[in-house]
Amino acid sequence: MTGYLAKRAGQMALTLFLIVTLTFFLVQAQPGDYATFYALNPDLPAEVRAQIKESFGLDKPLWQQYLVHMKNTFTGNFGVSFGHFPRPVLDVLAERLPRTAVLFLTATAVSFYVGFFLGKAIAWRRGGVLEYAATISGATLFTAFTPAFGLMMIWIFAFKLGWLPVGKFLDPLVWRGAEVSANHVFSYMLVTGAAFIAFAFLVLFFFRRSGRIGSAPLVRPVIAVAALAIPVAWAFSDIGYLALDILRHMILPIVTLTLISFAGTMLLTRNSMLETMREDYVMAARAKGLPEKVVRDRHAARNALLPVVTSLVYSLIFAIDGSVIIEGVFSWPGMGMTLLDAVRSEDLPLVMGSMVFIGLFSLLAHVIVDVLYVYLDPRIRYQ
Amino acid sequence: MTTSTHTPVLQVIDLSLRYQTRQGEVQAVEGVSFELQQGQSLGLVGESGCGKTSVATSLMRLLPENARLTRGQVRLNGTDLLELDDEEMRSYRWRRIAMVFQAAMNSLDPVHRVGQQIIEAIEAHGMETTVSDARERVARLFRMVGLDPQLMDRYPHEFSGGMRQRAVIAMALSCDPDLIIADEPTTALDVIVQDRILRELKLVQQELRMGMIYISHDIGVVAEVTDRIGVMYAGRLVELGDTADVFRSPMHPYTAALMSSFPSVHGERLPLQGLAGEPPNLIDPPSGCPFHPRCQYADEVCRTEFPERSIHEDHWAACWHPLEVTVTGDGSRDGCG
Ligand SMILES: Nc1ncnc2c1ncn2[C@@H]1O[C@H](COP(=O)(O)OP(=O)(O)OP(=O)(O)O)[C@@H](O)[C@H]1O
Ligand SMILES: [Mg+2]
Repeated sequence: MTGYLAKRAGQMALTLFLIVTLTFFLVQAQPGDYATFYALNPDLPAEVRAQIKESFGLDKPLWQQYLVHMKNTFTGNFGVSFGHFPRPVLDVLAERLPRTAVLFLTATAVSFYVGFFLGKAIAWRRGGVLEYAATISGATLFTAFTPAFGLMMIWIFAFKLGWLPVGKFLDPLVWRGAEVSANHVFSYMLVTGAAFIAFAFLVLFFFRRSGRIGSAPLVRPVIAVAALAIPVAWAFSDIGYLALDILRHMILPIVTLTLISFAGTMLLTRNSMLETMREDYVMAARAKGLPEKVVRDRHAARNALLPVVTSLVYSLIFAIDGSVIIEGVFSWPGMGMTLLDAVRSEDLPLVMGSMVFIGLFSLLAHVIVDVLYVYLDPRIRYQ
Repeated sequence: MTTSTHTPVLQVIDLSLRYQTRQGEVQAVEGVSFELQQGQSLGLVGESGCGKTSVATSLMRLLPENARLTRGQVRLNGTDLLELDDEEMRSYRWRRIAMVFQAAMNSLDPVHRVGQQIIEAIEAHGMETTVSDARERVARLFRMVGLDPQLMDRYPHEFSGGMRQRAVIAMALSCDPDLIIADEPTTALDVIVQDRILRELKLVQQELRMGMIYISHDIGVVAEVTDRIGVMYAGRLVELGDTADVFRSPMHPYTAALMSSFPSVHGERLPLQGLAGEPPNLIDPPSGCPFHPRCQYADEVCRTEFPERSIHEDHWAACWHPLEVTVTGDGSRDGCG
């Protein structure tokens, strides 16, 4: 396992190197000169300009610029954003990246869960109303034109019904007079979420090890209590209403993304289930007198999960690609919007920084899914 | 062992099963009846496709969606399993009837530890209350079938074919069933391992005094482990008797042909002597005795009417022209040495 991870880390480093190289030359290939953007930018005071010129090697030939760029990137120096001057690129990205990550990871997780749940249900009970409803609506949504569908969702739930905010990360009216920054609240929310997930895993782990047969049913209630306690705790804290505001802004994009993408997982799960349901170990599980639900979930669906998890990589990359569109539609200030704005305003350091981090994010997603797969399939785990 | 003194564990009465297919209705099982006493073992033999697995899965009520039981009863200790609702049947499975499947090698789920797959059955039937007791039971079962108990935390792919076979047998024994059905459990193994596992299975079955139905297409294998033998042909039971009797003097020509084609478990397999042709198509089985197209003794009555039973003590065959029963002295029998 360690050897495997080391190998993956090496591959990642190499891919990252290629990404950085490619972005550098892509930006160079644009009309206009990278060097002149820096050198002639009137926003910059003269001495800063000189300093930047030197530190980025802009007075040197292209190949030397490339080497300097490479060194800067791998030492974490992404320069200063033009558009957000004088904030460093890294600072801008540190604010935007978590917003995108949280939104799209949540959406991917929800969509995966919904898709998997529906997929196994319609495979198990074939020919039901659910099968037709889920397949037809799923396929329709899957092929829908994303921006149009996003706008339609906004129109229905924000304008017509007025249940949810139209877009953006937060509502300034709510935040007026707040003593903490949005980034602050958001990072608390992240920590809470991570702590909850860790807790859930610990509970699962603990009960699996405990002595009594039949204590597994306690797992759900314990996790449910924790899941209820967290909102209550937040509600009593003085930043609870701010967190709620951010959450309210997340709902519509997440629901939209889920609706657009659950069908892929659903149909894949269904096909995979139809395969595993024919397996002898599923028949054996039934012969053992296990309850139908256990046969379905622990044996048929658990095995059907394996090929579906592989596709999670594509869902994640689809989500990253889609972030440019979805964030645009919902004015969500994440990586996608940042990249789009940076390209429009020729904020080249930010463009290159965003590209590197988007690349890094998809590489990480890839590795995480691979590791997850290895964890889920013991036949690979011990090779 | 005489059959009449005990109450039977299992009574199968006039069992009939059809599969709906696009080509038509497959008459996979037709009017099969037999009894099994406690601690007794019955071998079911016959060529591929004669309905052995169908009988077994009917007993467990684990039939595919296109199957329909048209007639019959399956009485386990007096209760007709075919009358039970799904939940009652679920509690009977494994606790009362367990099965080692034909594809035993694949009946272990690749993503769960072998011991865990046995524990889940123990758990579902409330056989033990704590995990450590359940693990202790698995360890006992593993030792019983000749596996190192430490292997219980391994995954199926870490087991060899023989080990998996043993694990599957241990799994079938885990809830002390009254009856165990073994459907060609050893075909995927080499002859040596096959033979050893078979002998062990027989020992365990006798020790636990379970009823056992042992299914095989190889009458030689069946003879080694079972007290009685039932021969199936085209979905019907055509001969039934104590193993020694059937072996000493088969009554049905089909049984005789089967025996001559399998000289012994260890010997090489000869082609089916005097058994030309294919088993019949069960969508449109032959009239009369289904064996008549391949039978050298067949005459007009065989072609038109299904045979009545020719009975000789505990031994019968459904044949109009049964082979002569060789005299067995005063009826006291030694085992089938
Ligand atoms: N699910 C099914 N649908 C349709 N026909 C089936 C099905 N299962 C079995 N059959 C048919 O029923 C008949 C009996 O099959 P069964 O599997 O019981 O035979 P078997 O004696 O166990 O054969 P084998 O020795 O090959 O395992 C065969 O003709 C087979 O083709
Ligand atoms: Mg079979």
